[in-house]
Amino acid sequence: MLTCYRGYFGDYSWLKSVYFQHHLVSVFEGCFSSSGLLRANNEEPAKFQPPPKPVVVDKHKEIVERRFLSPEFIPPRERTDPLKFCIERTDMIRRRKVLDIPEFYVGSILSVTTADPYASDKTSHFVGICIQRGGKGLGATFVLRNIIQGQGVEFCYELYNPRMREIKVLKLEKRLDDNLMYLRDALPEYSTFDINMKPVPHSANDEIPVNQLKVKMKPRPWTKRWERPKFNIQGIHFELPEKMMEEAQKWSMPWIKFDMLREYNTSKLEEEIWKEVNEELKK
Amino acid sequence: MPGWERLLCRAGVRLLAGGPGGLGQAAATGNRGPWCFIVRHINSTTWWDEHLSEENTQFLKQLTAEQYRAQTASKLCPLKDEPWPLHSWEPGSRRVGLVAIKLGMIPLWTKNGERHAVTLLQVKDCHVLRYTPKEEYNGKTATLTVGGKNSSPFYKPESALEVFREAGVPPKQKSTIFKVSDNAIIKPGTPLYAAHFRPGQFVDVTAKTIGKGFQGVMKRWGFKGQPASHGQTKTHRRPGAISNSNAGKVFRGTKMPGKMGNIYRTALGLKVWRINTKHNIIYVHGSVPGHKNCLVKVRDTNLPTYRDCNKNPPFPTFFADGEEELPEDLYDQEVFQFTDPSVTYV
Repeated sequence: MLTCYRGYFGDYSWLKSVYFQHHLVSVFEGCFSSSGLLRANNEEPAKFQPPPKPVVVDKHKEIVERRFLSPEFIPPRERTDPLKFCIERTDMIRRRKVLDIPEFYVGSILSVTTADPYASDKTSHFVGICIQRGGKGLGATFVLRNIIQGQGVEFCYELYNPRMREIKVLKLEKRLDDNLMYLRDALPEYSTFDINMKPVPHSANDEIPVNQLKVKMKPRPWTKRWERPKFNIQGIHFELPEKMMEEAQKWSMPWIKFDMLREYNTSKLEEEIWKEVNEELKK
Repeated sequence: MPGWERLLCRAGVRLLAGGPGGLGQAAATGNRGPWCFIVRHINSTTWWDEHLSEENTQFLKQLTAEQYRAQTASKLCPLKDEPWPLHSWEPGSRRVGLVAIKLGMIPLWTKNGERHAVTLLQVKDCHVLRYTPKEEYNGKTATLTVGGKNSSPFYKPESALEVFREAGVPPKQKSTIFKVSDNAIIKPGTPLYAAHFRPGQFVDVTAKTIGKGFQGVMKRWGFKGQPASHGQTKTHRRPGAISNSNAGKVFRGTKMPGKMGNIYRTALGLKVWRINTKHNIIYVHGSVPGHKNCLVKVRDTNLPTYRDCNKNPPFPTFFADGEEELPEDLYDQEVFQFTDPSVTYV
């Protein structure tokens, strides 16, 4: 086993790939020292082969099941009685048992069918990119954007509205920002999506791909001054002169990240709520 | 000007009293007694555990908590506790209301897909405190005093604590009076639950509005103010004219800046959409005056339009230990229940 590896892969560059690292460890686990074995197999004086570098494989880096808690379950930091959130959550879980609300993020492409009393076939269908997820509890909403026949269209859907018939994720991905409202001022090609596009397959345990796309904008003026630090947008390819970018930094408030009153640590809350929601959904 | 009498009285008391004890509280509260009569009141300001050791404070707290838990437990079966005679509902009879806590607001959908906003009112530790027959009240209607959420006895006056002791109930944060017809009287100490109201009924909710403090005329009365520019000198949010030269005076009740909010207001004719019997929550249509977690008074509507909707309610109230077994959630006919399949149109 060792001799064949030695001949083929002299430069050890293949050691970098994880699969081969796993394999190497399993091969070397039985040996005390690699150099000793090499000498034993060899009859002719062989060139000195440096021992392979020790490979440290993190056994704890197992495939962890991705935990996703929909952001509308996390209660806002207010002086409301937690009982109100509990009651809202029971209703939300009951609705989720009837309608499957998939995991999606801002930047994913969804297709939504709703019941419409004024349409001829009583349903209305829309495909678009999710640009914003707002609201907490039963009133949670998401905004889908698409450009249809040259006209930009945005639909704000309520997740728990009983008229929602189906929510399908066509492409699950994240973007560099949490809020893609700047697509309104971006070139139309970035907001156009085919209504009949086929769903892109995505496995359950892979990490969600982050689309590093930087969007090109229409000429100014824009609906909002997206270059200002308050929006903290990473996903725009600013072609503005440096002077403008520096001037925009005048509105930066660097003390905000030190403000302790704005901190809202939701990690414990999220864990408890995730447990509760999962248990209820399994029943 | 009667003010100088008070000043003299106060000065006199200050000369005589001297020490940190009661400083002529009678004068400060505006008692206009004989101005040369100086009374020395011993109104020392102290709180209940100022002169108690820590052990004693802890002991008292635990003792009161246990006592009140025992009291609530003893009142859980009002029908077995020799209740007062029960009568049946007749048109024209008025029954008690409840004291509830405003939890917050939630959207609610009907079977047609319409969305309404509803307020959640939680009925927590609601007990009947006292019955006042009509002779003692005003000669025409009898009343029942009802108390809301439990609170600590240590910051309440003794007169209030006597009422709670007599009813055998822990001290309450809010107590209100409900005018009641003679066939709807209930024995003091009876617990009241959210199932007292049923979905499809209409209620009036009274509460103190959110206090906004001293506010100007634009916020308080909705005046338009003056333009921001075009020569206005220091006048952008002022009332402008308050009267005319004909009258030559300012009429009483003229809208002016002042304290806004923190007054009792009633929202009338609110529909009850849903009742949760497990947590005692009433889902009431629309908004209700008051901030979150404030105490509100809920009663059946007096509006003539909804007289027919409030027929045959649980009379005089809903007894939890009676034969009626209610499901956990009671819905109105039109409410979309989340366990049903999605709404479709045909």
